[in-house]
Amino acid sequence: MIIKLFYIVFVITCATLVSASYEDKRCKCVCPSPAAVLNNTVGSDRKLYIGNVPPNKCNCDGVILPRVGELIKGREQEFCPRCECKYENRNTTIIKVVVIIVIWVIMLLVAYMGFLICLDPLINKRAKASYQEHTNEDDESTISGPSHHMGARGNVLNRVTHQQDKWKRQVREQRRNIYDRHTMLN
Amino acid sequence: MERFPLKSSVSKMGTTYQSVYKKGTNGGRHGDEDTVDITTGPREVPTTPTSHGTFQLYDHGRPSNASANSYIAQYFSTSTGDAVIFTGMQGDTDEIPGIGQYDDFHTIDWQRDIARDRMRHRYIVKKRQDSIWNLIKGAHDAWSGWVCVLLVGVCTGVVAGVIDIGASWMTDLKFGICPQAFWFNREQCCWSNDEITFDHGNCSQWMTWAQLFGESKEGVGAYIISYLFYIVWALLFAALSASLVRMFAPYACGSGIPEIKTILSGFIIRGYLGKWTLIIKVVGLILSVSSGLSLGKEGPMVHIASCLGNILSYLFPKYGRNEAKKREILSAAAAAGVSVAFGAPIGGVLFSLEEVSYYFPLKTLWRSFFCALIAAFILRSINPFGNEHSVLFFVEYNKPWIFFELIPFVGLGIIGGCIATIFIKANIYWCRYRKYSKLGQYPVTEVLVVTLVTAIIAYPNPYTRMNTSQLIYLLFNQCGISNSDPLCDYNRNFTDVNKAIEKAAAGPGVYQAIWLLMLALVLKLVMTVFTFGIKVPCGLFIPSLALGAIAGRIVGIGVEQLAYKYPKIWLFSGECSTGDDCITPGLYAMVGAAAVLGGVTRMTVSLVVIMFELTGGVRYIVPLMAAAMASKWVGDALGRQGIYDAHIALNGYPFLDSKDEFQHTSLAADVMQPKRNETLSVITQDSMTVDDVETLLKETEHNGYPVVVSKESQYLVGFVLRRDLNLAIANARRTVEGITGQSVVVFAGSPQQGVMSPPQLMLSRILDMAPITVTDQTPMETVVDMFRKLGLRQTLVTHNGRLLGVITKKDVLRHVKQMDNEDPNSVLFN
Repeated sequence: MIIKLFYIVFVITCATLVSASYEDKRCKCVCPSPAAVLNNTVGSDRKLYIGNVPPNKCNCDGVILPRVGELIKGREQEFCPRCECKYENRNTTIIKVVVIIVIWVIMLLVAYMGFLICLDPLINKRAKASYQEHTNEDDESTISGPSHHMGARGNVLNRVTHQQDKWKRQVREQRRNIYDRHTMLN
Repeated sequence: MERFPLKSSVSKMGTTYQSVYKKGTNGGRHGDEDTVDITTGPREVPTTPTSHGTFQLYDHGRPSNASANSYIAQYFSTSTGDAVIFTGMQGDTDEIPGIGQYDDFHTIDWQRDIARDRMRHRYIVKKRQDSIWNLIKGAHDAWSGWVCVLLVGVCTGVVAGVIDIGASWMTDLKFGICPQAFWFNREQCCWSNDEITFDHGNCSQWMTWAQLFGESKEGVGAYIISYLFYIVWALLFAALSASLVRMFAPYACGSGIPEIKTILSGFIIRGYLGKWTLIIKVVGLILSVSSGLSLGKEGPMVHIASCLGNILSYLFPKYGRNEAKKREILSAAAAAGVSVAFGAPIGGVLFSLEEVSYYFPLKTLWRSFFCALIAAFILRSINPFGNEHSVLFFVEYNKPWIFFELIPFVGLGIIGGCIATIFIKANIYWCRYRKYSKLGQYPVTEVLVVTLVTAIIAYPNPYTRMNTSQLIYLLFNQCGISNSDPLCDYNRNFTDVNKAIEKAAAGPGVYQAIWLLMLALVLKLVMTVFTFGIKVPCGLFIPSLALGAIAGRIVGIGVEQLAYKYPKIWLFSGECSTGDDCITPGLYAMVGAAAVLGGVTRMTVSLVVIMFELTGGVRYIVPLMAAAMASKWVGDALGRQGIYDAHIALNGYPFLDSKDEFQHTSLAADVMQPKRNETLSVITQDSMTVDDVETLLKETEHNGYPVVVSKESQYLVGFVLRRDLNLAIANARRTVEGITGQSVVVFAGSPQQGVMSPPQLMLSRILDMAPITVTDQTPMETVVDMFRKLGLRQTLVTHNGRLLGVITKKDVLRHVKQMDNEDPNSVLFN
């Protein structure tokens, strides 16, 4: 149930976030501002030109001149060599999916950690108590009705619980090695 | 013969042996190697080829050949065809479960595991004749090593991509957010926006936290809000990372390379390469890198890749069930880890060879190569940084360097060695203090305090505020038109077309940047000392690269200004008089980075290869080599160990370094157990009952027992491991009928079966009949060499052919420590 809910929320989040569209390719050029060429002044201010062109057009002619050609007419030979153009691409889908997965994993781990810290001791206590009551009563005949179905389910549950206990023991051992006895990973 | 070794009939086998016998003892061992595993049904079975061969030789060497001949004749007369028994083979119903596995914190026996794999392989080769299905199984077995490393490579690449993307996004979350698409970092958010101002790299899409709270972009209020948010996010990330590690997988903390080294040298740490460790290490690494602590993700990547190697090796029983074979996969995985961490596949292979691996045959070299290649390819396809490379700080250089520059490069090497030694000494001191004082009881608090201090100090200085990878990129880079940092504030004239980049007088920005960088150097050094070893996933490649890059850049600017002021000086031999392409400070940063990293880890070859793969420039190999070598010399002179070896020693892992030399004159008799006045616990081959053996197991704590002919003669038969003995007895009590406490345990020989006595317990299967032995007068130098090169777990000491004692790996390690005047009790496990 909870997993289903998580899944639905996950799908909705993904669906709503697709709307914003971003380019996957760009040609990024950095040039000095045209004023530096025109006035021969020493300046450090630069200008950025980003264009969406194929890789072979990612140069001064393809990206910069269409925009500032008017300004620096006749002095292209002087201006262009000082521009640096770089073609870059990325995959927005991968970035989005990875970041969302990371957020989900962290949230799940934090939720599970909270569960283990707060609720698990309570549940375990109750389970132990009920188990002991049951053995004290010692009447297996009372368990009837949908026992077969419940049995299979309980089996799986038992196995999961068993695995979880085993894992918890291991982690406790690790914790003792590292945090208490300081025999490892100092 | 090699192809169908098991097809030969009984009579043919007999002739083989006869011819061997005639040829004499020399060829015997090699001659029967192919046929030895054919053994007979009812008789006892020698477990290893060598043991069989030795037995033969031994018999032949006797003065009277009669008994030997009759024995052999008897031996083969009872052969009944193809009844083959293999130890450790898969699918054998007689196999005792658990044999061949090891307990936690135990040392593996390489020789035994490799012999087991050879047996298993023979079994599969033999079965291949039987059916198509077995043929397919055999083919699957043959290629499973390559498939396994392929899978490891793919998974490592994908996980590295996730870590890179996640960490870069989360790092920028400290500064602001991209409201339209929250999953982008700042660079990606401003991807197609022209209006980036060069002052802050901000664009209209990217909102800093101050802007989100309605403040203006500049001003005191905005600064304070940004500062606060930076600290709060850093604390949040660090707290999450530390508590996840503490809650789910404590083994995920630290860099992991010392432990991987120990594991690869043949040590078992259960759970260290498990699923939870993997998940928590990945998530914790993303969080701790983003928290702005002075740590890197490169070392933990090796651990993550090894976890993947371990988990995936369980898909292939050949590797999953054999610890020695599994280490071949782990070596390849470690190479893949470095390959994705630096985008340097060849460097990764060399790193695995030089730094982490212990047993590295050529086959593993090729597999590592393949694994590193696949991992680098996958990461490169994911393209996490959008720069067509697997690392953020990839730079491309094509500037020449002049001969004189070797002097500053060697000087950088010396500086790097000094910084590295300071770092190692201080860090080990602090880690030791943490280990033995009350500080170790507050791991999460410690992380929080270190994060808080780092965040508070780091924010005001722009060079420490930024991501360390970005800082390295900035320092490596040369000042071009696209670089607007104060570090590039030269009085350059941009109007002259032909000399776009030439040496120029440094502007005030450069001097200011140098001061900030010096502060950053001190801060990074101090913070890294306190950071490396806190209980979050943390590596130290990136911090040490950054330290070296800062020092190198400062030296580089100094030399550059020298060349600018005195271009005609003889040092530069006229090459700087023209003005262009003379001194590149970025190159100095690179050389300095290599020097510090080399001093910290004591890598040489792999480091140089990693660095030149990072820069794509072959022409800088000589400067990098000079610096790495100088740094290693200085480091070795000032302090003996690299950081990883120092941490191994601090933790007392049983790691027998194959690089050290043993230079003492002690003998095997001085080291062996038992010492004088103690008795050696042995098991006789055919006279002890089950009760006797169980009493012995209860009363002593040894991990293995020598088996002798009789207590009086003490002639050695073989060696049996405690764990195997326990398992075999328990298994026999369960499955064999009539086994009681009075049953005689038979390892070898042919005991007389009494009429009334309970059935015997045959344990020849678990007996290692080829234990390595030395005599008591063997120099320890030889013994240590045997332990290193053969990967022994123990060796038996004999005198006049009688068993005298045992030397275990732990004894050797303790002896080495004692000889080096260190506390021998610091070796913890065996």
